[in-house]
Amino acid sequence: MGLLAIAPSAWAQAALDSDALLRALARPAPAATAFVEVRDSPMLKAPLRVSGEYRRPDATTLVREVRAPYAETTTLRGGEAIIARAGRAPRTLALSRVPELAALQSSFGALLAGDADALRAHYRIDAQGTRERWTMQLVPRDARLAAKLRGIVLHGDGDDLRCIETTPAKGEVQRTLMGATAQAVGAGADIAALCRGTAG
Amino acid sequence: MPSPAGRLLAALAWLALLAVAGWWLAQHLSFSTDLRRFLPDPRTPEQTLLIEELGEGPGSRLLLVALSGDDAETLAAQSQAMQATLSADARFAFVANGGSLGLDAIPERLRPYRYLLSPTLDAQPLDVDYLREELQARVQDLGSPAADLVEPLLPSDPTLETLRLAEGWLPPHAPQTRHDAWFDAAGRQALLLAETRAPGFDPDGQRQAVDAIRAAFEAARGDGASQLEISGPGAFSVEIGGRTEREARWIGTVDTVGLILLLLVAYRSWRIPLLGVLPLASAGLAGLAVVALLFGDRVHGITIAFGFTLIGVVQDYPIHFFSHQHAGLSPWRNVRALWPTLATGVAATCIAYVTFLFSGVDGLRQLAVFTIVALATAALCTRYLLPGLVDPAPRDPAASPRLLALWRAIERLPRPRGSLLVLALAALAVVALRPGDFWQNDLSKLTPVPAPLLQRDAQLRAELGAPDVRYVLALTAPDAQAALAGSEGLRPALDALVARGAIDGYDMAARYLPSAATQRARQQQLPAGDALRTMLDAALADSPFRADAFEDFVADVARARTALPLQPRDLDGTPLATSVSGLLVGGDGHATALVSLSGLEDVGAVAQAASAHGARLLDLKQASESLVADYRARILASLAVAALLLVATVWIALRTPRRVLRVLLPMALTTLLILAVLRGFGVELTLFHLVSLILAAGLGLDYALFFEHAGDSRDDQLRTLHAVIVCSLMTLLVFSLLALSSIPVLRAIGSTVALGVLLNFVLSLLIARAPAARVLPMGGTTA
Repeated sequence: MGLLAIAPSAWAQAALDSDALLRALARPAPAATAFVEVRDSPMLKAPLRVSGEYRRPDATTLVREVRAPYAETTTLRGGEAIIARAGRAPRTLALSRVPELAALQSSFGALLAGDADALRAHYRIDAQGTRERWTMQLVPRDARLAAKLRGIVLHGDGDDLRCIETTPAKGEVQRTLMGATAQAVGAGADIAALCRGTAG
Repeated sequence: MPSPAGRLLAALAWLALLAVAGWWLAQHLSFSTDLRRFLPDPRTPEQTLLIEELGEGPGSRLLLVALSGDDAETLAAQSQAMQATLSADARFAFVANGGSLGLDAIPERLRPYRYLLSPTLDAQPLDVDYLREELQARVQDLGSPAADLVEPLLPSDPTLETLRLAEGWLPPHAPQTRHDAWFDAAGRQALLLAETRAPGFDPDGQRQAVDAIRAAFEAARGDGASQLEISGPGAFSVEIGGRTEREARWIGTVDTVGLILLLLVAYRSWRIPLLGVLPLASAGLAGLAVVALLFGDRVHGITIAFGFTLIGVVQDYPIHFFSHQHAGLSPWRNVRALWPTLATGVAATCIAYVTFLFSGVDGLRQLAVFTIVALATAALCTRYLLPGLVDPAPRDPAASPRLLALWRAIERLPRPRGSLLVLALAALAVVALRPGDFWQNDLSKLTPVPAPLLQRDAQLRAELGAPDVRYVLALTAPDAQAALAGSEGLRPALDALVARGAIDGYDMAARYLPSAATQRARQQQLPAGDALRTMLDAALADSPFRADAFEDFVADVARARTALPLQPRDLDGTPLATSVSGLLVGGDGHATALVSLSGLEDVGAVAQAASAHGARLLDLKQASESLVADYRARILASLAVAALLLVATVWIALRTPRRVLRVLLPMALTTLLILAVLRGFGVELTLFHLVSLILAAGLGLDYALFFEHAGDSRDDQLRTLHAVIVCSLMTLLVFSLLALSSIPVLRAIGSTVALGVLLNFVLSLLIARAPAARVLPMGGTTA
């Protein structure tokens, strides 16, 4: 028992290897993971909490499916985003016109695909912490994207991504809880604390 | 007879007078560069439209800019920097590069007008249900990854009408956007579109605009490796202007040096080049002065360029005079002896040009006046001024043994008859039987722009998503509003055509700017302030949005309800202005709304739908070709009359049919042979070839007249031979150099005339030279 408790931390003393981490985070298609996202705006009475599922049905497609409080499916594939909402015809957008969606694909999509090269092509990567509780910082290389996005911080435990923290150039930090953390989140939970893994 | 010093002084005084007159003219003469002066008056509505578009239309003010040679991100950054610099430049109406295209198309001041410009509320009233539905969609937008994009718009525009408008205005085939800048399909070139305020045919304004683009590029590039390309009518006129200037400089220098050398070698006197230039310079200045007097500021640059080409022939007049001058002959006697022959040539040519006065083309009329005045001036100068200035006893060309040897060799040449007939028939066969079009009907081929530049322009145009250039729908009305309203009436029929697949899409000014009537109707549909607030409160009650989140929206709708309908002039300075002014062409007391078509499949169906709604389908290609054909028909008709007049003049002067035939045959045969050579090489004839043929014919007439009437003595014949050799060498030199130009038009003129000089010289020698019998009484006046 004692041996077991010591072993992981000793392992974590070694420099955190971002390549090894990226390999561990990769989820070969088809794969799916639950998410909860919270967004605040001065126009809203209360922060908006959106939940659903990210899916990679195949290696080149990323789907963001919102299930509550409304139904919406965004499919990113081949430079296009198709946004389908209940009761409306799907809309197709060129990703080049919506840098925010392009960034989603180049960061989160590449992460799930285990495509370290694609990720490094778009971001400077800096991993910190221990193997069991780590953060990985992504800073955009592209000046255009940097004008909109200051950076993305990924929080995780071991092989699991717990939360994505997105800091826009202007405005509030937006947080997306992933996987088990997202499923466990209750009403009124402290999202920021859950994201950083400092809650309880 | 004045002293040699007195003669020189007089010649220098004449030159000084010309310099002063030239300086004065240069101060007071302004040239028009409007190509339309050189086109015939339009007769059909299609031709009218074409001519209107050619001149001041927005198409002629567009500059296409491409950046290449670096990675996409760098190019995009340079594109943004240039866009920012040039947008602030007063010389540009607008500069677009695809950067955040859409919202920028609608400046802040026009945003409240969105409900008047957008068709959304035509089918969907602004009521509680609609607001509730839209607000729910906005909640979803805020929950999407693109939330940051829409959030700033929401307080004033919860229905996102602004985005809907901007999306509706996107060109159907806009170039792809990378890093917020337009790129070609291959992603290697960043593309920008700049509209100058200066018209396309204002060379100074265009030069300034092109320089400003270059400067902005240099600043944006820094130490980078990227390259700049500018295309479009304005860039072409700058490029052609620069090239013409460079080539004119070296061709002019070589010409001048060559001519002076030639005259020095031919006459072994340094005074001859000075005296030789006086009639030509006087002719040019007199021609310019009269044209300026008659046509004012409508004098076209092309008139001057062609005019000086055509009057190059007057250089021959003093040459004949100089070659015949020898000791023992008074210069006045000399010139009187030459005058009948010289005057016949001048009169015949002038009478031929008179026909251009009736061509119905302003530019050709100017050309005729210029040439006639210049030819007459040069002839009169040679007749009445030059004899007082020359050395009465120069070196006699007839004393040259080499010339004598040459003359003897020529005397032994056969006088071909049958072989000429065979040659003529062969040439005729080539002209008639060679496959391929005889005439070049493509109006764009009239431009002096080299073909590779035009191809590049077409590529860039295609990348930037230009519509069908051949067919366009036109609807003419008394004013702009009526035209807008009329084209709105076309939309159901056009939408049906799109649905049927007859066309892929269409574009019209009313898509960007609805008629005032439509805008007023939409105002009527907007709820009043209180009503809107009540509806909004109801819609917001059960939504996640705060109750006071949309106060800006209420204010915007109130402004839209009471605003005056937007007029075309309100769009000035916005990217929309270009779209609208390109599709709404104004004239005197009428306006034409154009509908551009893309992916046209069924021409017949579109034509039918158009005529059913008061519009017409215009075939611009057909219009332009008919215009060129019309033009050519007028020139050819003028030429036919000119040929008849020319024959009549020569006939009156020479009287005997044999002599008339001998004089005219070389010229006619040369024309036929040039045509055969051009056809043989697959050249389609243009206006420039016709002008060259006229010039070559004029030269041939002179050569033949002089050979035919070479004089009664061997010495006189030698002197004539000397004169014609000097004349033809000079002309050959000038036009051979022109044939080396990089500008297609100059090359066409140069090669055609050079060929004409050679053929005319040889054929005049063979056919028109005085019969040997007349040379028999030898001796005579040889000193």
